[in-house]
Amino acid sequence: MNALARHRRLTAIWSSRPGWKGLFSTVNHNDVGLMFLVTAFFYFFVAGVLAMLIRAQLATPHSAFAGPEIYNQIFTMHGTLMMFLFAIPAIEGMAIYLLPKMLGTRDLAYPRLGAYGYWCYFFGGAMLLVSLLLGIAPDGGWFMYPPLTGKVYSPGINTDFWLLGITFVEISAISAAVEFTVSILRYRAPGMSLSKMPIFAWYMLVTSLMILTGFPPLILGSILLELERTFGLPFFQVELGGDSLLWQHLFWLFGHPEVYIIFLPAAGVVSTILPVMASTTLLGYRYVVAAAVALAILSFGLWVHHMFTTGIPHMGLAFFSAASTLVAVPTSVQVFAWIGTLWKGRPQLRLPMLHILGFFATFVIGGLTGVMVAVVPFDWQVHDTAFVTAHLHYVLFGGFVFPLLAALYYWLPLATGRARFFRLGEVAFALIFIGFHVTFLAMHFAGLMGQRRRISTYSPEDGWTAINLISSIGGFILAFGLVMVLIEVVLHLVVRHRAPRNLWRAGTLEWATAMLPPAYNFASLPEVDDREPLRADPDLPARLARGEGYLGEPNGMMRETLAVDVASGTPEHHVIYPGNTHLPIVLAAVTGLFFLALLLKVLWVAPLAMIGVAVLAWRWVWVLGRREDAGAVSVGCGLSLPTIAEVDRPPGWWGSVFLLVADATLFGSLLFGYAFLWTIAPGWPPPEWIAPSAIVVALAGVGVALSIIGPFFATRANAGGSNPAVGLALSLAGSAAIAAALVAMLMMAPSPTGHAYGATLLVLGGYGILHAIVVALMAAFLIARVRAGYTSPRRRAEIAILPVWGAYGGGIAVVILLAAYLPVALS
Amino acid sequence: MMDLLRILVAPVVWLAAFSAVYGLQGVLCAAPPEGTVAGLPMARVLLALSFAAALLVQVALLVLLLSRRFGASRGFVRTVSLGGGLVGVVATVWTLFPVLALPLCQ
Repeated sequence: MNALARHRRLTAIWSSRPGWKGLFSTVNHNDVGLMFLVTAFFYFFVAGVLAMLIRAQLATPHSAFAGPEIYNQIFTMHGTLMMFLFAIPAIEGMAIYLLPKMLGTRDLAYPRLGAYGYWCYFFGGAMLLVSLLLGIAPDGGWFMYPPLTGKVYSPGINTDFWLLGITFVEISAISAAVEFTVSILRYRAPGMSLSKMPIFAWYMLVTSLMILTGFPPLILGSILLELERTFGLPFFQVELGGDSLLWQHLFWLFGHPEVYIIFLPAAGVVSTILPVMASTTLLGYRYVVAAAVALAILSFGLWVHHMFTTGIPHMGLAFFSAASTLVAVPTSVQVFAWIGTLWKGRPQLRLPMLHILGFFATFVIGGLTGVMVAVVPFDWQVHDTAFVTAHLHYVLFGGFVFPLLAALYYWLPLATGRARFFRLGEVAFALIFIGFHVTFLAMHFAGLMGQRRRISTYSPEDGWTAINLISSIGGFILAFGLVMVLIEVVLHLVVRHRAPRNLWRAGTLEWATAMLPPAYNFASLPEVDDREPLRADPDLPARLARGEGYLGEPNGMMRETLAVDVASGTPEHHVIYPGNTHLPIVLAAVTGLFFLALLLKVLWVAPLAMIGVAVLAWRWVWVLGRREDAGAVSVGCGLSLPTIAEVDRPPGWWGSVFLLVADATLFGSLLFGYAFLWTIAPGWPPPEWIAPSAIVVALAGVGVALSIIGPFFATRANAGGSNPAVGLALSLAGSAAIAAALVAMLMMAPSPTGHAYGATLLVLGGYGILHAIVVALMAAFLIARVRAGYTSPRRRAEIAILPVWGAYGGGIAVVILLAAYLPVALS
Repeated sequence: MMDLLRILVAPVVWLAAFSAVYGLQGVLCAAPPEGTVAGLPMARVLLALSFAAALLVQVALLVLLLSRRFGASRGFVRTVSLGGGLVGVVATVWTLFPVLALPLCQ
């Protein structure tokens, strides 16, 4: 088969359906990544317009441009859209589009999950956008502090839009993080060991793990606040044993890592582009990786520095002040590595490089003001002033938007196959850089002069008039610059000015694809033995196109790729992906129905939507697998590998493990909240404790034992050629026993609306029951699969997933009962 | 997965210890224990002991990461994991030393 015939065959296999309708069923990462990016930049535009409205309002004192009610919605939605609907989805889109190409594979680990994540983002974002258009948008600030956002002070639907819409959107972040983690660890080109991974992949691996552990506290906080607003469960009401500070803890447990979740991928972009612009390699690759890992984990120890003014004892303040200063060290390691890279190379001042220099200047200033606000006495002075607004914009715009614009100009030719023709970008950069610094440098001084954040107006006597006018003028200069970028991108798409292959002379694998990249990325998969394979072997793209790598011969209509060993990159499994399907959009729509039902308080629809989700999830998994053993499959280059159905740890196992990491973080956050209320909230101890029950403990004990032993028996029986149905039935019975025990426990618990203690028990019990139902569904599914002939001693992959979930379901049941009964025993 | 564990273990253990000591401080302020040891309040002693334990664990992890048995043999993972080990020790000292010096609950 020649290269052209191979291209046509692979295109037929991997492409989405023709026409715009294909967007609704595509699962290909090229499509999904671009859909994420286009939508994210749309929200960037909307949030930018809102920013201009803010600056118009503040340009003059006593402005009548917008009243306080509308202004509250404007600044809340500006922050919300920028953080949740632009920054994170833009990272997701960029990574979904680029990672498989950089890793030398054909798609991410779970193509349908990526599409599902996009549609959750699309529908969730639409909910928020509709609220804005109807004038009922969230108005409590982007961090939604109760009691302001409680039912008493925010009785309307505005806050519910935020809590439910953001939780819905965050499904996409969690699903993308699971997908990235498994893809980076298992779906790489053969030979690409951890030390040969592109630096961007390292940054995305770290970021993905951060999303898995950073987002769950906010999801939990949103659930608790919505439960308070809808059902009266008083988690944040002091008079009923709650505490509004619990929200601040949960929010900033997410909120501070979020800054690094946004910054680290941008640092990955800088670490990728900068060496190319300097015609060299990244200095200190392994130290940069170590610094990124350190920065990511240290960032989880900083959350209280957003709460320095809440009356926390000095020792607590000192812990977090010290940790906040410490993060400057790994950040500096990266900055010095970049400076060193410039030093050893021959930097060229091309357009992406301009934006990277913009990033340097801006982000370093933001970092330094960050160290300033990490010092407690200084923070007390500037807390809630425009100084903090200026600082966060220096960090986020400097640390994210400049690198993102560098990435845009660097990779746009790859995505379009075209080079820039007009030269608007340089002028746009100048306007953006000048406009940004005029806007936000001025804002520091306004803050130091006492201007508080989020005020809708001020009087001339305050002395802030000139600074605000300068800041507003800068804001509009910045907006002109960004509009010029948009115009240039449109012109880029309109003018056919063909780009040469690998126009930057980069070394990473994304430039080994055709320009623009085909749906399958690589006609055959490369064997990698260098961190920059293209630099080591410039003829690689032609050899891959000739089918001289792995999987060079298309097999029927199957979408094939390889999974590799985590550390060494040795090929281990042959992977077959599912094709185009409407399941992701339908599942996202039904998921959205659940959130919509809660939003509109049509509560009886919510359980129906959940049943719909369960049915579709069943269908989602059912269409995979096969009814006969495949044995070892030839993957080219003289190698034969088992298929993923015939291994002990299939992609579903890996995905489950990392999903459970996020799940366990949410559960841990719930336990933290319980402990926090118990020790800190003023309304404790509660007026009534739960009555411990020996029957509940015995029933749960039996359930836990069965949910652990059952999957173990099923796995052993299947491996030995016996029927695993008995073990699966035991697992099912175990889950039923756990659910029954937890229901019984809740029936003996105090009223959930009377005190935060009862409310917490309800959520703990509900969490355990939900997991028991999930494990039961999985066991029932496997029983059906066994009966339908989808398993055999060789085809053991599906059964291998159940023990993970069974053990988790059993483990949390034990912890829940301990959390419920232990305080009673201690008191 | 072992390589990932080597890279992540020390900073993650720091995070756990840091959160635990912060939590312990909250509990000790909410329900101060009675008694003194060598003239020091019991709460201070408990916090200092937890700081020492956290530091001991970090040093032990660093030694393990340096050892042939648990440490990585590949140069890249070895460098990155030792970097993590060092971060764990430094972060523990830097972020938890306030338990020795600052007022407990003011």
